[in-house]
Amino acid sequence: MPLLEVENLRTTFRTEDGPVTAVNGLSFALDAGETLGIVGESGSGKSVTALSIMRLLSRTATVTADRIVFNGENLPSKSEADMRRIRGYKIAMIFQDPMTSLNPVLTIGEQIAEAVRLHLGLGKRDARDRAVEMLEKVRIPLPEKRLGDYPHQFSGGMRQRVMIAMALSCNPQLLIADEPTTALDVTIQAQVLELMNDLQRETGAAIVLITHDLGVVAEFCRNVLVMYGGNMVEYGSATQIFSEPRMPYTQGLLASLPRLDDSEHRRLEPIKGQPPNLLRLPPGCAFAPRCAYRMPICDNPVPLYDFGAGHVARCYLYDERARDQRPAQARALPTVSPIGAAS
Amino acid sequence: MNGGALVEAKDLFKYFPIRAGLMSRHVADVRAVDGVSFAIRQGETLGLVGESGSGKTTIGRLLLRLLPATKGEILFENQNILAMSRGEIRRLRRSIQIIFQDPFASLNPRMTIREIIAEPLRIHCLASGKEIDERAHELLKLVGLQPYHANRYPHEFSGGQRQRVGVARALAVSPKFIVCDEPVSALDVSIQAQVINLLEELQEKFGLTYLFIAHDLSVVRHISTRVAVMYVGKIVELANREELYQNPLHPYTQALLSAIPIPDPAVEQRRKRIVLTGDIPSPVNPPSGCRFHTRCPVAFDRCVSEEPPLREYAPGHFAACHWVEEHGGARPDLTTAPAAVNAGAK
Repeated sequence: MPLLEVENLRTTFRTEDGPVTAVNGLSFALDAGETLGIVGESGSGKSVTALSIMRLLSRTATVTADRIVFNGENLPSKSEADMRRIRGYKIAMIFQDPMTSLNPVLTIGEQIAEAVRLHLGLGKRDARDRAVEMLEKVRIPLPEKRLGDYPHQFSGGMRQRVMIAMALSCNPQLLIADEPTTALDVTIQAQVLELMNDLQRETGAAIVLITHDLGVVAEFCRNVLVMYGGNMVEYGSATQIFSEPRMPYTQGLLASLPRLDDSEHRRLEPIKGQPPNLLRLPPGCAFAPRCAYRMPICDNPVPLYDFGAGHVARCYLYDERARDQRPAQARALPTVSPIGAAS
Repeated sequence: MNGGALVEAKDLFKYFPIRAGLMSRHVADVRAVDGVSFAIRQGETLGLVGESGSGKTTIGRLLLRLLPATKGEILFENQNILAMSRGEIRRLRRSIQIIFQDPFASLNPRMTIREIIAEPLRIHCLASGKEIDERAHELLKLVGLQPYHANRYPHEFSGGQRQRVGVARALAVSPKFIVCDEPVSALDVSIQAQVINLLEELQEKFGLTYLFIAHDLSVVRHISTRVAVMYVGKIVELANREELYQNPLHPYTQALLSAIPIPDPAVEQRRKRIVLTGDIPSPVNPPSGCRFHTRCPVAFDRCVSEEPPLREYAPGHFAACHWVEEHGGARPDLTTAPAAVNAGAK
């Protein structure tokens, strides 16, 4: 049984311009101890997915889902009090900007102790010991001394390590890390990723890593979920996604990146056009307006196609029905069968 | 290094004073740029990389004299721009332009795109009346926008389109030299490539010279002719692009390159990463001797007491490192698998 199962997640925001569909029928599953990378550009719905699952969105958002099952429990049917007991305990979260997610008027020690006293029911002294232990784990020097320091007395990288210490203090089964290294310099990013790797090996927590950096995903994740226009467009193991991307968007993303190990100067191949307007998502494939392979059939809702070994992609290029619509450069592609009916 | 140099910085310093107390007493300095020399050749792209606080953005602003320098010389076409009068500076800015990082903050929201692009033309009296419109349309087409976009306001555009407007504004005065300060780091990955390609095309078309400031070493490798690496206010290494990426001498450059993840799991699995300990030091109170000695895996006594000079170890390859000097220009091996960065090069 997977640790987390999400089915048909839909999140819309009421805005002055009309409803904005941020997540549009997303389904995925995650096993215990797994590392899943969710990649996508701004507005693709990756952060909103996490916040919807955690029920952390404001009242302007409407979240519906057929199922969100965590550890055998259906999250949408939980009361707010029950959710509070799960958040920060069984499911922990790290955000992009550690400065705004730490409380500036409480010491680091108080903030870590608060979580463990609340969730683990530890007494004052035990909570303090636990805080020291966690700071040691995330390699903060002189943890006993630093307990009494405030967030502004730490550097950006250290603050993010404090966030990790806090998130892992109650031994969560799932850690959702939303762009945890985006605000950090690269040498500090390397430190934080190494730390998260070590701690995962130690605690066995599953990690959902939300990022726009495909390099970080290649380094860190076992499985990858690519999002575009509020839905999953491709899913597979990191090797499948990077070596055999099936969806033209994933292919385009990889071709548009300059790589550190490019020794020859090659011209980058950008994806044409702009990311979709979430106020007016097209009825069919959200990527179709920018796609080099666009076919008439792409204006219909697109099902997922199964490429074997867990690799799926949402694209009509591989559909038997679209065989004669394919542009010349895609004639030779194999056809595979869609999964179920169009979602 | 002066052969064909369009821009030259000599022993450049920029200190920002920190004032405190009732009398605003001068208590310390942020040593943002602390003795930096380099030259940018006609028609090349010099990449300037470094982490936050390394002083790379400050250098860009000094070159345009958007900030006064504390000490040193900046020569543009062999004229010291630090000694120029206000009028001369204004004329200088016809030759030197800048593209900023944040396409949301660098365009006036109350001006139409036409007004934004026409402003430099008006200031420098390069066009009037109808000519301005014609020139604005021409510039919009040049950067891949449409003439009908001229009547719109910045908020109607996406980040990538706004950055194109920023490029059009910089090009309006037909400059020779453009400082590109993190021009793509605020953009989505699929849009970054559009803007990088545009900058490359324009360089070819107009023979532009760029200073390309960025923290993304993959982008810098792609676009630069030569690359300078900064660490806490100093240049620690400067070399041709290929030389720097294939044969980085300075331990910091090696660690920096090794820290960049490559979007390919097969390559990532083979790589040995050098993970530095500790944080980037503050430019207010930088470490003695070599500023990198607090994090350097091969530092020894001399690095703590003595500042290493920038020396040439191979033609055009400069580095500031005592270890490299004492080992006759060899590079320290920080991993057990050397040249890991290039393990997956095609």
